[in-house]
Amino acid sequence: MKTLPAGQYIPGHSFLHQLDARTKILCLFLLIATVIGALSLWSYALVLAVIALLILVSRLPVRPAVAPVRGIYRFLLIVFLMNALFFGGEEVLASWGIFQLSREGIRQGFRVVGNVLLILILGNLLTMTTLPTQVTTALESLIKPLKFIGVPTEDVAIIISIAIQFIPTLVEETELIKMAQIARGARFESKKLLERAASFIPLVVPVFISAFRRADELALAMEARGYRNAKNRTRRKKEPLAPHDYCALAVCAFICLVQFLLLRNLV
Amino acid sequence: MLVEGKNISFSYDGFSLALRDVAIKIEKGEFLVILGANGAGKSTLVKHFNALLPLEQGELRVAQIDLRDEKDIWLLRRLCGMVFQNPDNQFVSSTVEEDIAFGLENYEAPRDEIPERVRAALALVEMGGYEKRAPDTLSGGQKQRVALAGVLALEPEIIIFDEATAMLDPSGRQEVLAIMDKLHKAGKTIIAITHYVEEAVAADKVILMQKGRILACGSPEAILTDLDLMKAAELLPPLPVRLYHDLRQAGVHLKNCPLTNEELVKEIWQLKSKT
Repeated sequence: MKTLPAGQYIPGHSFLHQLDARTKILCLFLLIATVIGALSLWSYALVLAVIALLILVSRLPVRPAVAPVRGIYRFLLIVFLMNALFFGGEEVLASWGIFQLSREGIRQGFRVVGNVLLILILGNLLTMTTLPTQVTTALESLIKPLKFIGVPTEDVAIIISIAIQFIPTLVEETELIKMAQIARGARFESKKLLERAASFIPLVVPVFISAFRRADELALAMEARGYRNAKNRTRRKKEPLAPHDYCALAVCAFICLVQFLLLRNLV
Repeated sequence: MLVEGKNISFSYDGFSLALRDVAIKIEKGEFLVILGANGAGKSTLVKHFNALLPLEQGELRVAQIDLRDEKDIWLLRRLCGMVFQNPDNQFVSSTVEEDIAFGLENYEAPRDEIPERVRAALALVEMGGYEKRAPDTLSGGQKQRVALAGVLALEPEIIIFDEATAMLDPSGRQEVLAIMDKLHKAGKTIIAITHYVEEAVAADKVILMQKGRILACGSPEAILTDLDLMKAAELLPPLPVRLYHDLRQAGVHLKNCPLTNEELVKEIWQLKSKT
């Protein structure tokens, strides 16, 4: 089975697997807020403890759970340098033209990189314990309240559903086109960043053309099955949340509150 | 007549005609196969039946609905279901049951009825038990059967298969053809578009198209055994027909022109028993 690029789903029966996807997404938002709100060492200690506990409760192997850390070190290095060299601050350690390396900048760089990593691990835990189909359904349900501020939630829900449904097909198609290009002498493995980026142009164009063609065919298939607009349709019945879902939400909300009220500014 | 049309012409670009003065009649319960090479106008013609293409010129009535009037298009699309060529480009939901429910939800079917109708449609295509599966985990034949279930859930009178077997492997093709046959026997009107001539053998009627025109219309025996007609349509006759003519040229005369391998074996056996 082809899965979403981030965090392959690993089947299981752990507490995290059993939670409703809506709960998991809401908890993820609360925990992201907890990460972003962390300033002191104590507050980071709380976040790390929560993540360790979640990995333990999910009964997932540690290595794939923290896998995002390995894949994006170049991106993290750039993020670190951008923060370290442009943040400014009073204690300047060195300066080269517009670049200024300061103690605060280094601290900010570490903080931003740390936050990105922790959020990625949390997101990874969601996708590793939740089927893509469950994530889609949950997202559709969670965006419903946006209807009151004029967002066409029914249309957005259909768009999300179709977009996620098409990811494996497009990934497969990209691989096929890539192989066809390699068979005709294309090279994608250059170590130079610019060369590598340029080599992907012949891949991107046919993938886009194919995606538009597929979108056309899908629109026709939807019309043939009576789709007019998202409003005049039978609404699906949503399952109510279970007591353990409410417990999980309460615990995450409590962690978030502790972070912002107690630990955030604790030195 | 379930489908009746005359003088139908259509152009995609306003210059070249994709359909030229087509007249067609299809009876209720008929199994019609439309044969033709690429660009013959087969898909263009059937896309008029459920108003996926507008009727620019001519007259067309499908299930008593006049296609010149656009107000009943929505009802027409429920009565005239369509299965497309590429199964991957027909799914809108992440699970089989949600995808089949898509059409029912569009027609505002009562919420309590939907699960039962989804189950019934899946049973018709022998895919019971696959409700929770993601469409991309299924084989080509299974995907096409699920797409068909999505159409069947709406209980259409006419089912159009627009080259629905073209992208499938031989076993997937057989799966879809078997379901097609089953639906025809159950009284549904089947319109199948294909360039696999072998698929036309089981039809009640065959229409041969070429460059937007109907070249011939008749029984499979009359159409598929006529070498000149098949050549004009840029198609190869079925293998048994070709063998029949090759044997004739070599001086071996079979009594009847066979359409299937079984008929060919029977003819050869009869010839052998005589000699």
